[in-house]
Amino acid sequence: MSKSCFLRIVTFLLCLALGWQFWKGILALEPTQIIIGPAAHYIESAAEETGATNIVAAILFDYRALDTLGEASVIYTSVCGIAMLFAKSKFKISSTGLSFIVKRGVSFIIPFLLLYAAGIVLMGHISPGGGFQGGAVFATATILFCIVYGSGFEAVMIKPKTKELIESSGALMFVLIGFVGLWTGAGFLANIAAGYPKGEVGRFLSGGSIPLLNIAVGMKVSAGLSTIFYSMIKLLEFEVTKHPGVKNK
Amino acid sequence: MSALFYSFVCFFLILTALVASEIKDILSAVISLSVFSVLLAIAFVALQAPDVALTQAVISSGLITSLFLVAYSQTQKEGRRENDEE
Repeated sequence: MSKSCFLRIVTFLLCLALGWQFWKGILALEPTQIIIGPAAHYIESAAEETGATNIVAAILFDYRALDTLGEASVIYTSVCGIAMLFAKSKFKISSTGLSFIVKRGVSFIIPFLLLYAAGIVLMGHISPGGGFQGGAVFATATILFCIVYGSGFEAVMIKPKTKELIESSGALMFVLIGFVGLWTGAGFLANIAAGYPKGEVGRFLSGGSIPLLNIAVGMKVSAGLSTIFYSMIKLLEFEVTKHPGVKNK
Repeated sequence: MSALFYSFVCFFLILTALVASEIKDILSAVISLSVFSVLLAIAFVALQAPDVALTQAVISSGLITSLFLVAYSQTQKEGRRENDEE
């Protein structure tokens, strides 16, 4: 009891201290005059070298593309692990979802949600966003499907096998785009140097391989995250429907 | 104006973090964490990091909350188990 009390006090003080530090950091914030190191190079020549207006996307998918590949493989591995842990059997029993009003309301929202997600993915090299964020919005749409219409509906609309295919093909696409650079002798995941067209800076068709990599990561993340959610909620509904009214000892 | 806004965000960040860590009810803690991440996303936008803010808003307040809720409904509660035994 005293140990849990001690832990609570420690957590309380930690929260207060971190919040205080955040506040002090904001107070110390001032417009930076001098930028040194790699940041100066990135800000100065990112648009010229990669054709992408969004410097964050340029760094993520051009200068540090290998790191992004590593991150994406972390997600891939975790999705594989969770799908393996929760893969019990192939049942399609599902709840019926929420009420008629909610279903109707969500059916109006879903197209805009999908459009927004596609916009985030496709415009990743121009505006804030990118494959990861857009893929997560796609996954949120499928989670809405799961909750509102029931997971059986979701499994019929987007089969788990299809999700698997999308995720794996996204990962494969990423690596193949990287191999083009290796083929032309510019190095793995090279962008403009590998012969991808730069396009006009600021236009939709620009940035060389960055939009393609965004699409690949978006496919991977959306399928992966919705697979995680589906495999977790599947087990839940299985246990509820399998033992109706049976008291477990 | 700016300092007032930041002090508002900071105060509610600390408040929601405290609620999320100290409250007994897990469901309230999860919702409080969701509010926390929305506030953090607003702070990121104000600090001119829209990419991070977008990630924070989608992942932390959307996906993490739903995954926590699923995990909450999957696991057995202490109170429920005692009721079953009685």
